[in-house]
Amino acid sequence: MAARILIVEDNEANLELMNYLLEMAGYIVLTATDGELGVAKARAERPDLILCDVQMPKMDGYDVAKTLKADKLMKATPLIAVTALAMVGDRDRILAAGFDGYLPKPITPKTFVSEIEAFLPPELHAATPPFRE
Amino acid sequence: MRKFGALLLGDSPDAVIATTPAGEVLYWSPAAEAIFGYSCSEALGKSMQDLIVPPERRIDEQLIVHGEPPGRTSTYESYCRRKDGSLVYVDVTSKRMRDAQRGEYILTTKKDVTQLKVLRDAKLVEAKFGNLLESTPDGIVIASPTGLIVLANSQVEALFGYERGELRGKLVEMLLPERFRSGHVGHRSKFFSQPRTRSMGAGLELYGLRKDGAEFPLEISLSPLETDAGTLVMSAIRNITDRKKAEQKFRGLLESAPDAIVIVDVRGDIVLVNSQTVKLFGYTRDELLGNRIEMLVPPRFRDRHPGNRAEFFVNPKVRSMGEGLELFGLRKDGTEFPVEISLSPLETEEGRLVSSAIRDITERKRFEQALQEKNVELENANLAKDRFLATMSHELRTPLNAIIGFTGTLLMRLPGPLTPDQDKQLTTVQSSARHLLTLINDLLDLARIEAGKVELHLEPVACQSVLEEAATFLRPQAQKKELSFDLSMPRDNVVVQTDKRALSQIVLNLTNNAIKFTERGGVHLRLSTGDAGSIVISVSDTGVGIRPEDQAKIFEAFSQVGSSSRRRREGTGLGLHLSQALAALLGGHITFESQYGSGSTFTLLLHGA
Repeated sequence: MAARILIVEDNEANLELMNYLLEMAGYIVLTATDGELGVAKARAERPDLILCDVQMPKMDGYDVAKTLKADKLMKATPLIAVTALAMVGDRDRILAAGFDGYLPKPITPKTFVSEIEAFLPPELHAATPPFRE
Repeated sequence: MRKFGALLLGDSPDAVIATTPAGEVLYWSPAAEAIFGYSCSEALGKSMQDLIVPPERRIDEQLIVHGEPPGRTSTYESYCRRKDGSLVYVDVTSKRMRDAQRGEYILTTKKDVTQLKVLRDAKLVEAKFGNLLESTPDGIVIASPTGLIVLANSQVEALFGYERGELRGKLVEMLLPERFRSGHVGHRSKFFSQPRTRSMGAGLELYGLRKDGAEFPLEISLSPLETDAGTLVMSAIRNITDRKKAEQKFRGLLESAPDAIVIVDVRGDIVLVNSQTVKLFGYTRDELLGNRIEMLVPPRFRDRHPGNRAEFFVNPKVRSMGEGLELFGLRKDGTEFPVEISLSPLETEEGRLVSSAIRDITERKRFEQALQEKNVELENANLAKDRFLATMSHELRTPLNAIIGFTGTLLMRLPGPLTPDQDKQLTTVQSSARHLLTLINDLLDLARIEAGKVELHLEPVACQSVLEEAATFLRPQAQKKELSFDLSMPRDNVVVQTDKRALSQIVLNLTNNAIKFTERGGVHLRLSTGDAGSIVISVSDTGVGIRPEDQAKIFEAFSQVGSSSRRRREGTGLGLHLSQALAALLGGHITFESQYGSGSTFTLLLHGA
């Protein structure tokens, strides 16, 4: 069964890009447009994996990580930062804040889905991904 | 006959004086005027004792004269005092007379024997002390109570510029400058009435007068000398010209010092200040000298100061400027200012003194403050710059993500099939977007290098693996352009202490450029070792090469050569500039050789560990 993936991203275009790539790969996508909504949706929907921007209004990615990783029910859920914070040191800072993975923007469309799948157990991979290169 | 007698009396070279039995002067001869300095009219009616007999001689002389029966002549030696206070040796003959007309009176003649006596004394003293006096380093003058020089040793003669024996019998005042002479006569008479030893330097500044008229500073000590000829005075004279000069030099030194210098004695009294002190604290010299040093210390520090001061006197260590606490000075007008003080003990004839050099550091404090503020400002500016770079990086990547992403999905044909034109145009969009991304990355790298923000992780790096990785990464691009791609490396591992990431970036950059600017032929990547363990990595191509006129600015930012818009598009114009900056960070540099039209070789030289 394909995983349910929550995308927390305030930029519409980028939210749409990830949504499109994941849906085309056969995943069920949930979305939230800021950190607060993201945390609420994560708790309500219990997705299999969360992609989260870092710079966002209301609650930034660091606080989302802090909140979810302190939540007994949520801390096992893979939390991956997809961020335009791509300077030297950003990766370490973000992983230290509790994220399980780090993908810098701009993402590479061809490899994006497989990079996400690395964080999912095989049984949650989409059955017949329409695109593999 | 009487007239002739009177005439003889008046012409007598000896003083002839007549007095009543009580001593009142009845007659005062011209010679008496000459010897004692009092005129006849001044003397008549006065007491002779009061006029010319020194107090200590009065009783003796009374007894001598009155002890004899009338008509008997008594003769004795004595000395008298002149009107100017100086003494004169006399042989005295006196006789009590009686005459019906005048009743009883006393006739006295006084013969001036001063010179005779001096010569006599000189012989005596010379016989007794001559050798001794010649052997002392100081000049010695022995003078009689009358102020005549009995003996001067050769040191004195040399000091004052006189011939041997020339001074004998002369008045000591001839050794003094004119302006001190009259005062001196009084001084020496006083000395004889109360003779006591007076040591060197205990007194005012004294000067000597040489025969040639030159003056010099001297120091003198006096002591009474009892001889068979009576009490004489011995004075030791020392020329202190050199010491005065040294003192003047010392003063000059004090004045030339940029700091205020205050010298205090063991009680804490100020004994010497320079003019910088006057300027700095606003007190006059007179207001400072003799007062406690604590007057220059703000009240809140005053209680502790005498204790510290006493401690320093007991255990003085040279303490240099700036060592210690924050110190403050107090001006006369009550204002305070920050100072730096250095202390040093000063051993002098008057005992241990302490010299303190005081520097007003108001200006420096101000500079320090300004500098600190400037530093904070700079730090803030740096932080702002860092924030700006981070924000720029983030804000540029965000839209690029959507551009590169959706171009990618289209080219992946996720939404559906593409016409060849659509495919070609989307590919152009994609490469332009990637170009923009490289530009952003290069610019950020450069900004970080220039801000000194790049932290190098130095470790032993195997050069072969760096070149192999670059080859693996870039060979496909070369193959796409049907270029040969060769890699030559020594068999033995070449290891260098460097930052692997930076080295890889340089090699990738140079190799990428070589492929980019070569249309036919190929690219050759070489590794070799040079002198003193240096590492040489070169990238050769058979590409367009660089025009001679462009070669000078090849490493400048955005200096990419050639007019083809396509070529322009392919590089960022920052690659070589960035590579050279990275090479410099690694302690190396990049050079190149190029033949326009037939290719270029770029060489990275790294110095061995």
